[in-house]
Amino acid sequence: MAFLKIENVAIKGISACVPPLVEENRDIPFYSLEEAEKVIESTGVERKHIVSKGITASDLCLKACEKLLEELGWERESIDLICNVTQTSDYTNHPNVFILHEKLGLKNDCMSLDLYHGCPGWVVGLSAAASLVSHGTIKRALLVDGDNITSVQYGQDRESRPLFGDAGTATALEFDEHAAPLVFQTGTNSVDGVALIHKKGGMREPHTLESYEKELGWLSGDVSTEGVEDLMDGMSVFSFGISTPPRSIKQLCEHYDINIDEVDKLVLHQANLFMVNKIAKKLKMPADKVPSCLKDYGNTTSTSIPLTIVTQCQDDYSGKKQKTIACAFGTGLAWASVYFETERITIPSIISY
Amino acid sequence: MELKDFIQNFADQFDETDASEITATTEFKNLNEWSSLIALSVIAMVDEEYDVTIKGDDIRNSQTVEDLFNAVKAKA
Repeated sequence: MAFLKIENVAIKGISACVPPLVEENRDIPFYSLEEAEKVIESTGVERKHIVSKGITASDLCLKACEKLLEELGWERESIDLICNVTQTSDYTNHPNVFILHEKLGLKNDCMSLDLYHGCPGWVVGLSAAASLVSHGTIKRALLVDGDNITSVQYGQDRESRPLFGDAGTATALEFDEHAAPLVFQTGTNSVDGVALIHKKGGMREPHTLESYEKELGWLSGDVSTEGVEDLMDGMSVFSFGISTPPRSIKQLCEHYDINIDEVDKLVLHQANLFMVNKIAKKLKMPADKVPSCLKDYGNTTSTSIPLTIVTQCQDDYSGKKQKTIACAFGTGLAWASVYFETERITIPSIISY
Repeated sequence: MELKDFIQNFADQFDETDASEITATTEFKNLNEWSSLIALSVIAMVDEEYDVTIKGDDIRNSQTVEDLFNAVKAKA
């Protein structure tokens, strides 16, 4: 059973940084105004922050880390672990965690871990980083999580273009014997993984000159995506998203005796509003406990949970104790749910890169 | 599960299409109002009413409402 209880670890702060460029969904050239309104109504996404050429996830994450360390008053030398989660690395070889370790000026006596995960990434990363901290010798850790997913998105893909945005986040963890335990339920349904997959350009199906020319055309947005094999199967992802996360959260609550009515916030992966609302309804959670940042940021893959906390709940998390259930789901297909308690943590205002 | 109820539940997902237009043999993807958003509503309806998780292929491989009914029934 993929349940996990991690003791002696406290979340001390969360920060997020977004690129300054905003794309309005009403301005997307291939939609009529009527179509755009329909898409906005169902996805909940009016606009997204997207990277311009030259900005990557590690840039956004670096800003998020620097601001968080500054507001926490944490010395760089005190960081014993940096764990990075991304699916958009700066380089084909040299994981982003090393770039961040270098740019942050962290000490050599610091463990680095890089996880390649899609939308469940922040929760999965939290389980990994917190586990390492719970041993007690690593006192402070940074969980860094960011994607510039719009850089690898096809400009004319009608399903993904209105949906996705970019962001980088940082989450500070500290060994704390008085901390309430973090508990997790995670799982994997790889049989249906083909619904969210990109095969071309990796080791198994390396690009040829011909395939790479096509790829560049799709990426540029000048070429129609008709005939592309690797597009997201939105219907299958939706079906997975409305069925598995509520089940996972119910299992988590049952296994660890959590009364869901006493939870202050249910922070769901911001897949799209239709899905978020369906999951919340299934769990009978009132809307005011289910924050969403979809309207102004879109689906920012694995960063959507910390980004929602920073942009929608800054006062609640920095001002009072919060009991949170978070659940993320996507590429894999995989999912991860977590329950955690925070005690007035450091939440810097959203940073514009 | 009954085909008659399924057709009713299916027709409920449409706003502009009259329920009388939708029968067991209707090729639903040819309906004017059919869209990817209606498809998501149908998936959500199947999840809620029948506790069945259908995939994109179940919709893509079904031509008529009865085809989809059979796909759902096979998983129920």
